[in-house]
Amino acid sequence: MVQIEKSASQASGESRFLFSDNHVKSEQSVEPTLPVKKKRNLPGMPDPDAEVIALSPKTLMATNRFVCEICNKGFQRDQNLQLHRRGHNLPWKLRQRTNKEVRKRVYLCPEPACIHHDPSRALGDLTGIKKHFCRKHGEKKFKCERCSKKYAVRSDWKAHMKTCGTREYRCDCGTLFSRRDSFITHRAFCDALAQETALSQPLAITSPGGVMKLQVVAPLVAAVVSSPPPPPLTPSTGMWSPVLSIQSSELPENHIPQLPPPPGAAAPFPGAPTVTASNSSTSSGNVPGNGGVLASIFNVSTSAEHPHTAQPPVASYSTMLCTMTGPDQHVIDPMSLSLSSTLYLSSGSSSLLYPAALGHPHRHYTPTPQPALSATALLQKAAQMGATSSNSSFLHGLGLSMIPPPDPQDSRNSAIAPSHWSNTTHVKLENNSVASGLGLGLPSSNSPASFNELMMNSSSLFGNKPATLDFLGLGMGAGETSAGGFSAFLSSITDGLDMTTSNSFAGVGSTMDTWDYPSDRKPSML
Amino acid sequence: MDTLFRLVSLQSDQSLNSSRTSSSSRSSRQNLYQQEDEECFNIFMDDEDFSSSSSKHYNPYPHHQLHHHQQHHTASNTPTPTTTTTTGSATPTHQHVYDQSADQFSYSPARDVTLEFAASLSGQNSRWASDILLETAKAIADRNSTRVQQLMWMLNELGSLYGDIDQKLASYFLQALFSRMMDSGERTYRTLISASEKNCSFDSTRKMVLKFQEVSPWTMFGHVACNGAIIEALEGESKLHIIDISNTFCTQWPTLLEAIATRSDETPHLRITTILVSKSGGANGGAAGVPKVMKEIGSRMEKFARLMGVPFKFNVIHHAGDLSELSLAELDIKEDEALAINCVGALHSVATVGNRRDLLISILRRMQPRIVTVVEEEADLDIGVDGLEFVRGFQESLRWFRVYFEALDESFPKTSNERLMLERAAGCAIVDLVACPQAESVERRETAARWSHRLQGGGFRPVSFNEEVSDDVRALLRRYKDGWSMIQGSDSTGIFLSWKDQPVVWASAWKP
Repeated sequence: MVQIEKSASQASGESRFLFSDNHVKSEQSVEPTLPVKKKRNLPGMPDPDAEVIALSPKTLMATNRFVCEICNKGFQRDQNLQLHRRGHNLPWKLRQRTNKEVRKRVYLCPEPACIHHDPSRALGDLTGIKKHFCRKHGEKKFKCERCSKKYAVRSDWKAHMKTCGTREYRCDCGTLFSRRDSFITHRAFCDALAQETALSQPLAITSPGGVMKLQVVAPLVAAVVSSPPPPPLTPSTGMWSPVLSIQSSELPENHIPQLPPPPGAAAPFPGAPTVTASNSSTSSGNVPGNGGVLASIFNVSTSAEHPHTAQPPVASYSTMLCTMTGPDQHVIDPMSLSLSSTLYLSSGSSSLLYPAALGHPHRHYTPTPQPALSATALLQKAAQMGATSSNSSFLHGLGLSMIPPPDPQDSRNSAIAPSHWSNTTHVKLENNSVASGLGLGLPSSNSPASFNELMMNSSSLFGNKPATLDFLGLGMGAGETSAGGFSAFLSSITDGLDMTTSNSFAGVGSTMDTWDYPSDRKPSML
Repeated sequence: MDTLFRLVSLQSDQSLNSSRTSSSSRSSRQNLYQQEDEECFNIFMDDEDFSSSSSKHYNPYPHHQLHHHQQHHTASNTPTPTTTTTTGSATPTHQHVYDQSADQFSYSPARDVTLEFAASLSGQNSRWASDILLETAKAIADRNSTRVQQLMWMLNELGSLYGDIDQKLASYFLQALFSRMMDSGERTYRTLISASEKNCSFDSTRKMVLKFQEVSPWTMFGHVACNGAIIEALEGESKLHIIDISNTFCTQWPTLLEAIATRSDETPHLRITTILVSKSGGANGGAAGVPKVMKEIGSRMEKFARLMGVPFKFNVIHHAGDLSELSLAELDIKEDEALAINCVGALHSVATVGNRRDLLISILRRMQPRIVTVVEEEADLDIGVDGLEFVRGFQESLRWFRVYFEALDESFPKTSNERLMLERAAGCAIVDLVACPQAESVERRETAARWSHRLQGGGFRPVSFNEEVSDDVRALLRRYKDGWSMIQGSDSTGIFLSWKDQPVVWASAWKP
């Protein structure tokens, strides 16, 4: 894991923000991302059968818990001590790797207020919980002399030191920045933000070396775009989970804003995905942790580079669309839903997403230059489509789109819709600014066409016209990272919808995890 | 005033009028200014091949020639000799002699003064502009109009808005001195301001401010320090209100918003109330530029806050008149909000007359803020009305603006519109300082020691910046060219940004 972290953060270190113009390149460089190295349970979503271990902070922080009686050398793991004992010609014993028989262990964070203090949120990795504890609840002892940034975990600090100051930030307008605060200030004043023309925020990152780690990128993007409202991401378990778990656990240079565990998400149970959804939605206007969710999207998307894994979500997406609409359903409903999801995605990764779609041979999707709609206009439009709402919010639109009673023909949908809808309603009630946060979180002028295209053609989405196919095609990015992410996301929605019948907490887990890992540091583009 | 200056005055009036009536841009105003000076002196120069080009290495010889040639003409043209030799004490004796020999004609432009400053002009590290300008100020204080004319003639010859630092200083200060001589300071100031405001757009303002921040820590220094202090003081509060009286166009706030968004606790609600002061005298006619810019800035702040996920409200309050007349009712201060007041360059915009500055501080105190952050440029520019006080203040202004221009010079590339804008703004400030009445002045900076005294007198106690803030500031300074450093103020009253060992900006935090 440490290794993964290192390479990931190196990549992030070299990376810089680029225009969407360049993202094709980044897209390509994405391909050789880290292979999936191992599979394990999603952090924070322990196997119910796992043995839950609660360590005191002291024990947890003790670097050398296993001490050799001969030379007093300490080890973090018993296994390592055993190997060491072998050198002393002492009796040693290595546990056999009989994964099936060894009971899984999960670890609790000793901090009572922490989300991972709850056994249902235990982390499956001792190193992970240690780092979590350090980052989130520990003192930041390691300070970068150059930029004054502080780290609690030495490896984070080391990774940062290697790259501090070497990165560049590029605004959509093309201006390059070597300093984060200049970049932030510039962003606030840049026309690219003000125009709000479209959503694909082209803060793609590519590294000069041509290697790029999306899982690193995601939080960076998230940090820059900071908190575009996240989708209610609830990735499915099954073949996604392992991938997800790894991806989400390797977010060391994850510059997601600190965030206390969202209260809603703390509720551990079957309701969890729903809770997450509502939580992220409600917080979208104001909680920086949203970045974490975005990161999750990205994580998912990274994994999508394995073609075989990408297919199912597509299927599920179409399934979802079907279930959502039903044959007789209003066209509006799925459309506004798709709008929302596109919106979500574009907030984090659109620049990757669109070209992915374009580059793919099967894609009919061709963004035609259209007059850019302002985000406000888009919001208004969405509100109109969302029917009765006076609140011009995409989320709102989403919620409203759910309002029409689900088609009775689809039992699954009808079973689920109420709960989901209640979430969205919740959103409305709790935070009216969600809408704006949503729209404005995604300001970009660079690929407005793509979004507009979606908007424009949305009415024909379900008329079996090319647009429909295209749109689905977007989700079908089997070989394409971001497209995969999209589909993954959609699948996660399906899953979220499905969750009353499924006992998967995968989405929550990953979400929580991404919130959690980076928590010890400020979001940063450095 | 003698005939010569009456003539000049006439000329300048005309050109001022024309520049006011025509929708002259700031640059055309400069052109007019140049022209008017040329015209003025052409009266004396006659058909001499007059070139206003000024070279850095000034060669007195051509002027010597010119002087002789011109003498014959002008002597007959202006038969009224002005007998201002009464001011002899300040005038070098050789000039006296020369004046006598020159048929009592008082205007003897180049030769003697040129000789006087020959060393200064040819020196390696010459600061001729300061030397000549200071002599001019002394001559003004001594009411030696002959010498004033000579020196100003020379300054006009040498100065250029597009030259080196000395040429620029000569040019801007000459403009101010000239306005002062003409008693047209306020008018000139208004003209300059309205010209710059006509040119002022969101775009140009943004470019200027951001470029300045990019190349120099001048403003960022205060921002980093203040934001650090504000965030620390408002830690844990769920509703924040910042009253912002600053001259940096809200460029301070994006990083604060970002910091707030990433606070470990719940993201608080933030309200920023920016106070935009317009002088009561200043007609709102041409001053629509700045409010428009602020409106645009406000909308961008709101968008950015949404992007950052900070619940945010932005208000601009237009306050006409002196800042010390600010009323609490305008500000919509709410009990349940933790209040911070951010004053960047705000205090010195209050006139020095009366007790206005102390009055403002007492108003701030009454708002019951958690913290007040104060950023001021470190200079003592309280220029006196006349005599020695005037000379002393003028000298300090020379020092200050030389430092400022030098800092700009080393930060910006040689040709930069942003730099030109900043220099013009400085030129405006110089007119304000040198030629405008104290009651109208908005540029009279004071030293940190005096501000501290005032603030402490007003019921505030200094809060030192924590180690993290100092680190942030140091980290900030490391990114810029050499020469910038941070100095701790005495008695924990703030920190200084220093440039080449001269403190230039002072940042401090205060609690009631």
